[in-house]
Amino acid sequence: MADSVRQYGELATQLLIESRRSTATDFLLKYNDVLVRSILREQRQLEALIQDTLQIQDANGLGDDPHMPTILLYQTAILRNKRCLLAYHHHRLERLKDMFWSVGGALPLLLSTHSTSTGGSTSMNAPANSADVRSKLSPHEVDFLRSYSDSLLQFRSSVLATEEVDLFAPITRPPKDLHVLVRVIRDCGVIQTEVGAIDFRRGQRFLVRRADVEHLIVQGYLEEV
Amino acid sequence: MDNFDWSIPALGGDDENAIQVPRPAPRDDAPVPMQEDFLPIADEEETAFQQLIRHWMNERHAPDILPGQELLLGRLLDHIGKQTNDVRLLREDPDSSEDEHFRIMLVQTEVERVKFVIRSYIRTRLHKVEKYARHIMKTPELHQRLSKGEMEHVHRYALIVESHFSNAVLRGLPEEQQSLDENMAFMPPMVPAPDKTIAVFAFARTACPPVHLPDGTTLEMTKGQIVLTPYHIVEHLLLREDVKLV
Repeated sequence: MADSVRQYGELATQLLIESRRSTATDFLLKYNDVLVRSILREQRQLEALIQDTLQIQDANGLGDDPHMPTILLYQTAILRNKRCLLAYHHHRLERLKDMFWSVGGALPLLLSTHSTSTGGSTSMNAPANSADVRSKLSPHEVDFLRSYSDSLLQFRSSVLATEEVDLFAPITRPPKDLHVLVRVIRDCGVIQTEVGAIDFRRGQRFLVRRADVEHLIVQGYLEEV
Repeated sequence: MDNFDWSIPALGGDDENAIQVPRPAPRDDAPVPMQEDFLPIADEEETAFQQLIRHWMNERHAPDILPGQELLLGRLLDHIGKQTNDVRLLREDPDSSEDEHFRIMLVQTEVERVKFVIRSYIRTRLHKVEKYARHIMKTPELHQRLSKGEMEHVHRYALIVESHFSNAVLRGLPEEQQSLDENMAFMPPMVPAPDKTIAVFAFARTACPPVHLPDGTTLEMTKGQIVLTPYHIVEHLLLREDVKLV
């Protein structure tokens, strides 16, 4: 990287632009490890500069200190960089949480590396379109998702003692009909429903009780017709 | 008859009233009882589900987290369980008539809709709890508004976010920069707190005691009145359940 005329905080701005882009395009960008690392490096440089200046100041003793503005400048750059770093990571966490909810809390599905091969037909149900979500995450983010999912499962069992209400079902539209006509997009084996077990095979259509298959619709196995 | 009755005193009144002969007063009087008809009749008789809907709407409109309605939820969940059970028994009963099957379907649909509201209510709270996790941890007054499960989730969530930040960012920083909640001059605080100044629509469920507005005047809402106001003005009324957010 040509270390020409670069100002402090410029890299952090790039990081923020990535977050912006991600929001604007509604798309999860790959975790920018390189950029994060170089900002961390810049932070250490700045800290060293501050320490040096402080030492000169100590040597000079108290009084009207000409170095004060210098220190303030470094300090401001440090704080800004740090905020930008945290903002970037927080923004990603929020995105990940959205994706997690949009697949109905099915973490394995989200992290599975094989592409879902549903083509462009997937509706709003799978904005993640988890082509290859995992490769876009940093290892820490995978850890975060795991702990988040664990925490939610614990929460669910403590709040809803019954299995009656599915916490992970979508909350965008209230149910209007009891039954729903679905088309099977991917085989999902034998599922217990109100009228007995049904073996969902790709391409078939069924009229089933919504509550029985809601999670399959969310996860992209079935599609409402 | 009504018209006749009021016109006589108007005509027979003294000078002051005489000027007001064509007054619109009776017109004003007439709609009043009608308005009362349109108000939600007898709030006391709110069913559990209506209560939940009210709390759900409040929760969705308020910026702050409101006291949880665990008892209400528990009652509804019990009820749902019972209904579902009844429905199952009736469905399996070969003697159920066609008419009954139709009613079963209605019950089932209604149950699904109740579940939807319950789910949405819990998720709304969950969203706020996560958003303000660190703020809640620091503010003991808020703790009693959360259920045990929510409180535990707050702890866990704050912890995993913190550890994510420290793994991904803070650990790479020099020691002097590793704290997570520093309050620097000229910078917004690092712990997000609910913004209580946002505007909400409040509907008075009963006559409310007067509230003082920041500009020195007071606002007194009568039953059925709707006002647009910053959240913090009606916050205590909301907690007393005198108003609801719409």
